Amino acid sequence: MKKILAFLLAACLIAGLTTSAFASAPDLVIAVDADVDTLHPSDYSTTIEINILNQIFDTLVYMNPDGSEEPEPRIAESWEISDDGLDYTFHIRQGIKFHDGSTLTAEDVAFSLEMYQASDYQGANVDGLDTVEAVDENTVVCHLSSPFSPFLLGVSACHIASKAYHDAVSEEEFASNPVGCGPYVFVSRAAGSNVVLKAFEDYYGGAPAIKNLTFKVIPDTTTTAIALQTGEVDFAEIDSSNLVMLERNPAVTIADAPTSSFTYVSMNLEKAPFDSVAFRQAINYAINREELVEICYDGKAEVNSNICARSRFGYSDSQPQYTYDKEKAVALLAEAGIETPYDLGTILVAEKYQNIAVVLQAALADVGLNTTIRTEEFNTYIGSLTSGNYDLCALEMTLEGDTQQLELAFTTPWIGMANNARYSDEEMDALFAAAAVETDNEKRGEIFNQIFTKAQNEAIYAVICNPEMLFAYNASLTVPAFVLEGYYYVNQFAWA
Amino acid sequence: MQKYILKRILYMIPVLLGVAFLVFAILALTPGDPGSIILGITAKQEDIAALNAQFGYDKPFLIRFFNYIKDLVFHFDLGTSYSRRQPVVNDIIARFPNTLRLALMSMALSAFIGVSLGILSAVRQYSTLDHILVVVALVFASIPGFWLALMLLMFFSLHLKWLPSFGADTFKHFILPTVTVSLTSAAGLLRLTRASMLETVRQEYIRTARAKGAGEKVVIWRHALRNALIPVITTMGTSFGASLGGAIIAETVFAMPGMGTLLTSAIRQKDVPVVMGATLFLALLFSLVVLVVDILYAFIDPRIRAKYENGGKRRE
Repeated sequence: MKKILAFLLAACLIAGLTTSAFASAPDLVIAVDADVDTLHPSDYSTTIEINILNQIFDTLVYMNPDGSEEPEPRIAESWEISDDGLDYTFHIRQGIKFHDGSTLTAEDVAFSLEMYQASDYQGANVDGLDTVEAVDENTVVCHLSSPFSPFLLGVSACHIASKAYHDAVSEEEFASNPVGCGPYVFVSRAAGSNVVLKAFEDYYGGAPAIKNLTFKVIPDTTTTAIALQTGEVDFAEIDSSNLVMLERNPAVTIADAPTSSFTYVSMNLEKAPFDSVAFRQAINYAINREELVEICYDGKAEVNSNICARSRFGYSDSQPQYTYDKEKAVALLAEAGIETPYDLGTILVAEKYQNIAVVLQAALADVGLNTTIRTEEFNTYIGSLTSGNYDLCALEMTLEGDTQQLELAFTTPWIGMANNARYSDEEMDALFAAAAVETDNEKRGEIFNQIFTKAQNEAIYAVICNPEMLFAYNASLTVPAFVLEGYYYVNQFAWA
Repeated sequence: MQKYILKRILYMIPVLLGVAFLVFAILALTPGDPGSIILGITAKQEDIAALNAQFGYDKPFLIRFFNYIKDLVFHFDLGTSYSRRQPVVNDIIARFPNTLRLALMSMALSAFIGVSLGILSAVRQYSTLDHILVVVALVFASIPGFWLALMLLMFFSLHLKWLPSFGADTFKHFILPTVTVSLTSAAGLLRLTRASMLETVRQEYIRTARAKGAGEKVVIWRHALRNALIPVITTMGTSFGASLGGAIIAETVFAMPGMGTLLTSAIRQKDVPVVMGATLFLALLFSLVVLVVDILYAFIDPRIRAKYENGGKRRE
């Protein structure tokens, strides 16, 4: 017994003496909660993959993810859009080097956009593109089949890859050993564990301050919170449940990023009584959104009953908002011909949305609507939603990019996919179609105003809030303020 | 003996085929298809269909199963992961060493703690030490693994800064996961060893041994322990076999890429080739471990060895 104890103590001591795992200055360790499946420039599917690819690859232009600000030149030094909105001409900056030393030409840009066009994964980035041609070494023209305003924003998310590299290696090699022209060069990857990058000294935008960059996979959010405090991790997205522990630590800085994601209650409009506008308005008034945000998001979400986030193009304070009003809810229920207590059916959720369902259930019970909660495994749950096999459900959804993306929640062709309410309305379909081809920004904003006013008046969904993304990082690290959706570019980071 | 081993190895073929069919069928019966899981709810229907066709997931169940078995048997090909688009073998090669290392280390530690304290507890039955050990064992057997893991992390990584909080690079990275896994199983082994020892020391041959004047040490170590160990070894064997499937909690909390997290994430993503490859690999290992345990019996218990050597007929 004594021997064991002595041995254990000795082992701990030796371990303690040799611990000095603190990062040295020019290096940065970022924790991510899942491994990347691929590093293919266009055939990716997760946010973590985008964040890593964004360090390795560059894009033609940079745009704030909602397109709300003027685009900035990147690989394209300048660009023109023809008056009919059909031709986008990009002038490529000269002398940009890929990581393998070759020079980027218009040929590579055309190849990359065509690769996106053929991609099952991110083809939507080049929606509207008909053909693309490299006119000369430094000029690329994109021909659209019809005017499509969100085109530039979509293209701004396309990573430009090397055609010569693609033609020289196998598909597997192309996806696992990426060669881009961004600020960081791919070094190595250990499956399930890490991705290592190093600074690209010839980056046309200047060599990054942080020289060695490692993304480490930590699936558990509490472990991430601990590793941030021990100094093993310098930067990570965190879960609000660990906020209290991290806020107490002066060595850690917390920052939040707004997102356009929305938490909402979807009602199956094909079933009574959800087909009644008054009834849906009643549900909207019955929910205490502030309380729900406090309980389910530790206060880290922006209350908003509009599906369009406040920072997003097309949002206006003149569009109606629903706030908690029990009396109005009760009156509207009477107007809809509902005699309470009323048996409303089942709230269907996946496990991660269970707490939202519990709060919702209580809110509905408070106005006399009785519900039961049913929890399904995530994929089964999505299956039930898309097939319309539910009464009432709660979830979070991200339809980022141009505001046009919100058509996925409202238009007829998307029933069976992201249009969970199964809402079908000719006027709504026509409005979104008009917004897609309108090239005048002011007029386009007015169309979106009509769309969201209509959506709010008809209470198509009961939207609750836009959750914030939370980041925590070493207090001596300088990180620029986060833009919408929380994408980050490590070449803008620096150690103090 | 060789004949017996050969027969057991041949038996594995129908077992593995059965496992393959069952797992394949369960995956086919559960809802969701890989295309829509990878691309998500915001994807276009035709992109999802194209991706599923690329995976061959548009074909009927039996044809998919037949193709899988054909590739496996004739080309030794475990297939390509749907989500990673890389050979499944790469995933297993990347993760199995961590799992094996963790399984071996925690088996060694839990056997050492469990068996030694179990014997101690049994030999001093009803002493204070025995009572303490029984209670402590009960506590550790009931503590949820993830809670224990987090407490160890908070104490040894965050406060004392002795051990790294995550990863699988060095021996130090394996200490906390090993302790997490083995404390729970050591508690079980302690209780089992104690019970088995207590039963054995009441046997008549132990009384005989004592009556012929053998010392207490000889009685316990040579006569009682060898007999008491048989159920303990059976349990250790099966639990070692099971631990080759990975320790999901320890792997998740300590960010150690192993077989457990590989399998669970593959099941969630409906990555059929990865689930199949990993399950078949583990089923094969499990069968081998069980076989080794059966052979071990022969070394521990001469009665069983005699049975093998005489082709089932007992030597009188």
